[in-house]
Amino acid sequence: MAQTTYRVRATRVKRRVLTFVVLLASFSLIYSSIAYYALSKAPAQPFIAWGVFSPSETLSNYFSGVGMNVTTHKVLTWHFEVTNQMGSIQYVGIVYRLGNSTSKNPNATAPASDTPQIGNTSRFIPNGQTASINFTWSINSENQAGGLVVLNININGQQVSPPVGAVKGLKFRFFFELWTYDLAANSFLYGYEGPGSKVGNWLQIWFNAA
Amino acid sequence: MRFRQLALLGTLLILISSLSATDKALGQSTPVDIAQNKIVQAFQILQQADLDGASPAAVSQLASSLNLALSYEQSAIQLLPTNKTGSGVYASLSLNLSTTTTVQAVSLTSTARTQTLLSQIGAYSLALSTGLGSTLLVIELHRVKNFVRKIRWRRLRIE
Repeated sequence: MAQTTYRVRATRVKRRVLTFVVLLASFSLIYSSIAYYALSKAPAQPFIAWGVFSPSETLSNYFSGVGMNVTTHKVLTWHFEVTNQMGSIQYVGIVYRLGNSTSKNPNATAPASDTPQIGNTSRFIPNGQTASINFTWSINSENQAGGLVVLNININGQQVSPPVGAVKGLKFRFFFELWTYDLAANSFLYGYEGPGSKVGNWLQIWFNAA
Repeated sequence: MRFRQLALLGTLLILISSLSATDKALGQSTPVDIAQNKIVQAFQILQQADLDGASPAAVSQLASSLNLALSYEQSAIQLLPTNKTGSGVYASLSLNLSTTTTVQAVSLTSTARTQTLLSQIGAYSLALSTGLGSTLLVIELHRVKNFVRKIRWRRLRIE
């Protein structure tokens, strides 16, 4: 009789321990999942957004209402606004090139390497922040070479004479390319690291040397 | 014996050539190059700190320092053809600032990692203790019910 009572008690204890373990495991799993979700970063697509702004803080009216004509010694003060949404601080570079109507455009994968580079600038931009980068330029002089007009330009205090000409000084254009520093390659690479591949990003502004 | 002497001579020659190559490599690095490398190194550590969960304010502050180091380096590059002394001064300023930033970024990385670890430990401990509490509540629910019943009985008797 006593032995039977002992067996019944032992079975009950076993059952209670088993229930305890199963419940503890289940609850712990549920609450740990909630903790994991709370600690995880929200998924977001990385990108860098940028634009060239005129002195009036717009993405237009770059020449102050005189068409696309730029006279010699007229100083134009533009600036880039670059927003970093890559998830971490980025070392961003902007490459300036001067082209004409026949220059090959950069694209989503390659920069316009055939078009002469006339300058560059770089900046560290923390995640979620926007950097403002000045681009002040003027035409110092216009020279004739082989029936084309070539320019001597001042960009952010630096004088450059790119080997690019345009008939009657019409349809010059600036290419602005976005580059980011790649730590694995230990150099700047064109574009930024998008989801799965590099994303090339460039802008252009046309002008006439009048 | 002769073989041993030859092997020793060969080892010595390799050592001397490798040392002279190192000297050449060091000799080729200009102050501007060294400053640029230090800026990149600081950026690498700061990005790691950022990825490890450093506070945005701290990262932003160190990014400002790096931007200043970058502007010194640009001045050093611009002065290089005309004023080597001035260029060296700017390169040195850039180097000092990026070195300081590197040290601060290392400290920031360490703090961020510790903070992340502590918050993880805290969150999962809370999850486990809540799990334990919930389990005990479910298992001992009948005791709670009995306890409530007893209190009600006592109240009824008093009335």
